[in-house]
Amino acid sequence: MHDFAFHRPSSLSDAVAAMQAAGEGKFMAGGQSLLPVMKLDLAQPTDVISLAGLGELRGIRVEDGAVVVGAATTHAEVADSDVVRGSIPALADLAGQIGDPQVRNRGTLGGSVAHADPAADYPAALLALGATVVTDRREIPADDFFQGMFATALAEDEIVTAVRFPIPDGAAYAKFPNPASKYAIVGVMVARTGSGVRVGVTGASPTPHRASRFEAALAADFSPSAIAGITIDPSGLASDPDASAAYRAHLVGVMAKRAVEACG
Amino acid sequence: MIRPSRSDHRVIGHPQRKIEGLAKSTGRAVYTDDITLPGMLHGKILRSPHPHAEIVSIDTTAAAALEGVHAVITGRDMPVQYGIIPWTPDEYPLCVNRVRYIGDGVAAVAALDEDTANRALGLIDVEYRELPAYLTPQEAAAATTDFIHEPKKPGHNGNVTKRVRLEFGDVDDGLDESELVVEGDYFFEGTTHTPIEPHCAIGLFEGDGKLTVWSATQVPHYLHRELARVLDLEGAKVRVVQPLVGGAFGGKSEPFDLEFCVAKLSMMTGRPVKILYTREEVFYAHRGRHPFHMRYRTGVDGEGKLKAVDAEILLDGGAYASFGLVTTYYAGQLLCAPYALPAYRFDSTRVYTNKPACGPKRGHGSVQPRFAFEVQMDKLAERVGMDPIEFRRLNFIGEDTRTINELRITSNGFLECLEAVERASDWKARFRQLPFGQGLGIAGSTYISGTNYPIYPNDMPQSGVQIQIDRSGRVAVFSGGSEIGQGCDSVVAYIAAEELGVPISHVRVLRGDTDFTPVDLGAYSSRVTFMLGNACIQAARELRAKVQSAVGEAWECPPDRVDLLGGLAVDTADPARSLPIAEAFNLAEARFGTLGATGSYNTPKDVHGEYRGGTIGASPAYSFTAHVAEVRVDVETGIVEVEKIWIAHDCGKALNPVLVEGQMEGSAYMGYAEALMEEQIFKDADHGRAGLHNAPSLLDYRIPTSLDTPAMESFIVESNDPEGPYGAKEAGEGPLHPSIPAIANAIYDAIGVRLDRLPFSPPNVWRRIREAEAGGGLTKPGAPSREVGVAP
Ligand SMILES: Cc1cc2nc3c(=O)[nH]c(=O)nc-3n(C[C@H](O)[C@H](O)[C@H](O)COP(=O)(O)OP(=O)(O)OC[C@H]3O[C@@H](n4cnc5c(N)ncnc54)[C@H](O)[C@@H]3O)c2cc1C
Repeated sequence: MHDFAFHRPSSLSDAVAAMQAAGEGKFMAGGQSLLPVMKLDLAQPTDVISLAGLGELRGIRVEDGAVVVGAATTHAEVADSDVVRGSIPALADLAGQIGDPQVRNRGTLGGSVAHADPAADYPAALLALGATVVTDRREIPADDFFQGMFATALAEDEIVTAVRFPIPDGAAYAKFPNPASKYAIVGVMVARTGSGVRVGVTGASPTPHRASRFEAALAADFSPSAIAGITIDPSGLASDPDASAAYRAHLVGVMAKRAVEACG
Repeated sequence: MIRPSRSDHRVIGHPQRKIEGLAKSTGRAVYTDDITLPGMLHGKILRSPHPHAEIVSIDTTAAAALEGVHAVITGRDMPVQYGIIPWTPDEYPLCVNRVRYIGDGVAAVAALDEDTANRALGLIDVEYRELPAYLTPQEAAAATTDFIHEPKKPGHNGNVTKRVRLEFGDVDDGLDESELVVEGDYFFEGTTHTPIEPHCAIGLFEGDGKLTVWSATQVPHYLHRELARVLDLEGAKVRVVQPLVGGAFGGKSEPFDLEFCVAKLSMMTGRPVKILYTREEVFYAHRGRHPFHMRYRTGVDGEGKLKAVDAEILLDGGAYASFGLVTTYYAGQLLCAPYALPAYRFDSTRVYTNKPACGPKRGHGSVQPRFAFEVQMDKLAERVGMDPIEFRRLNFIGEDTRTINELRITSNGFLECLEAVERASDWKARFRQLPFGQGLGIAGSTYISGTNYPIYPNDMPQSGVQIQIDRSGRVAVFSGGSEIGQGCDSVVAYIAAEELGVPISHVRVLRGDTDFTPVDLGAYSSRVTFMLGNACIQAARELRAKVQSAVGEAWECPPDRVDLLGGLAVDTADPARSLPIAEAFNLAEARFGTLGATGSYNTPKDVHGEYRGGTIGASPAYSFTAHVAEVRVDVETGIVEVEKIWIAHDCGKALNPVLVEGQMEGSAYMGYAEALMEEQIFKDADHGRAGLHNAPSLLDYRIPTSLDTPAMESFIVESNDPEGPYGAKEAGEGPLHPSIPAIANAIYDAIGVRLDRLPFSPPNVWRRIREAEAGGGLTKPGAPSREVGVAP
């Protein structure tokens, strides 16, 4: 790891200003994705700007039929939150399946969505629930947010402050974890919402995506059998020694079916 | 038959704490990286980015000129080949003119801190000429040019490290006469040790020409020898210190580049130098389980008795020989028990490949063939219509016997092992009778309790202990043993306490320093308890006899009436008469002078076959194990869940049942990990840089955590070996072997699909399920039923 300057701004605007003044700056929330890449010298920021002290990024509340989760909320806090468990249990369940206790106690929602790891869990929830990413300057619908592997719609100096998850009629998350890291090899969230059935898929491909054929079939008949015959095209899916593209394609179907079953 | 065990021990055989347990659990235990010496520099090693290349030139000027850098060395500074097996030295501390895997060491730097050392590595300019890389053993075996090592004879394939062909009895006749022959191809993927503690070493060269190396090693004695030889120092001026070791499992059982580099860098700078491997370097240092490609033919007669076994094995050795010569033999030699084989042949070939060298991992060389062999046994049992446990009983080799390859078997508790797991798993009511998707599997095995022969030929003892007694009643044991977490410091403390009658807390174990301990050859091949234990008993009994005699003289009674126990010397004929043990020791010191004794152990040398290779696999005693595994298979995803493993192990005698159970569970865990998860694999040219490790980090390399580990139940079987210390054999490696085949056989019981390739990871299992579905569907196999052609 290389030397860097560490900043601890006390407000959102100070944080943005620190970033703008930095040579090569990086925000840091829980550090669970940033520090591993810095240790491997894959990121070599000159300035690391901590978001840990920012009150603006904290808190979980229900507002206008949505659960609003502050960006600095840890995975453990989401998993244990009575508010989340009461309104979107599938989201609490997802957060409780991330990594291990150490990771869940440091890693944050904002860090996870900003990092946009193709194997992260939250993107499935953002897509399936039709969430909105709230930043220091605008609001971005989930469908427009994830743009590729580790790529999002965020500007360099833009800070995620919260994510707004509309409360669905029902939702469930089914995950096939990597046995080593627990990252999703395939994770599927299925949600029944006012605007129809939404299916968010993570892990399977470089960019998390919605499974539109599943959505159409489930809109007509919300049952596991409705999607049983639909095969997923493996081309374009990730392929590595943990799982070939063909295996991932198969798992998307199995996880979707299990999520539908769990939705009841 | 189980020999009776003595029941009057006060310490031995009872649950005890590990003597270093408190220090470890409170974080006060000292490992090599905890040591910081005044003026210490930090070293780093530059590693090859190519799997196979010639070193054309190395320019270290810029690195040496960097502020904070004290020395830079390359292979030319230590151009002496070494290797743990004296017949196959093929490594240099740093490569001299050729690199053979991505990660091979090329140059090393000592600097004020690690960051500076890393920066200096970036300034070393190495020019390489790339050579074709051989990444599979098949490619390497077929090569005609650009061999990884020079052929030993002109016209030979330099990629072949070793080939062993041995035949006992007439295998072709045996197979011809068999009623049934089962053939199978098997593949065991490579796996690595993943100890918690990365390799670490500190070198200190002093003005008087004395070199001290502290190292996280399993073999301080061999390291001592190789340091002296490679660095051209007198052995008497080299000292190796072994602090506590944070796990090894075979991954620290030979010298490594860092140990030579810290020594040489200290010799050049006059300052202590430390090198600590990164986790990535640990994966590249490797010396782990060899990938094995295996083909077996196993024949039985009409009654289900084994007639003949024929094996062909190709070992993927990686870039260097390491222990490979032994592995190539073990691949065949250790399979001849616990079942009687009337005829046996193996043809085993180890080839070099351009990947990190493979070596010994817990259950060295015999875990892979045991997997194949025990799956073959399951296939045979089914086809001869026998319960697989009955089938194993029928073929039991017995005790006090010799194997077909002329290994002497003494005690043998295998039948008791089978019975224990059969009963505990409720086998008879559940095998083949659980619902589809759930299954039980059985497997058995044997393993050595040490090797009869040391790695370098010599007639000296394999293990030594010295004991000294203080006037306070404190007993000091100077132990040559290598404590790598397995508990050998505790074992000698228990023995000293047992024999000399002192509380365990009055025993100090002083270990891990070649300057003041006798030689023990190291922590490998499950030799330590057997050999070190016997050496310790010998030393302790000599002192015990002196104390008994002095006290007997004072009490005017025969010495054998004096017992030493619980901190007292006691008159067994008159228990009211006793002395505090310190006073008894003082009587002995007054009578005999300063109290000290040495003990040593050497193996029996006349108990193996006289053929070439007959010494390899020969052991003073063999342990036996049986496992039953219970699994649940999710056929949609291919996920195999191991719900429980029942482990029964004949360790001879449990000197401390808690430690034995720990070894049994740890072994079963490690086998389970290899069965379901682990893969030390490398990228090929189509998937990145050829020869690059696929996952050299604990974030990516799959091993189970405690949360993933199945329930386990251990049953200690005590056969009381006539030559073992108090009857003990081994528990550290044997109990791993049946894990993998028991799980494979349980998967078959669950879904009727045979898994002949490791690991049984979800994608692999799913692929086999798919094939089974395409070929006629998935069903629970029926009860074993006799095939036509096999007589009742
Ligand atoms: C062992 C291990 C296992 C893991 N397993 C899983 C798993 O199973 N599932 C899973 O989803 N994840 C997993 N993770 C990742 C984990 O969830 C991380 O916490 C998460 O990806 C990043 O959150 P963080 O708060 O630590 O972000 P950091 O590491 O601090 O930051 C990550 C990136 O996001 C940026 N960033 C952080 N906060 C903001 C913000 N508010 N606005 C804009 N940019 C920001 C940073 O600049 C940085 O580029 C695992 C991590 C580890 C180490």
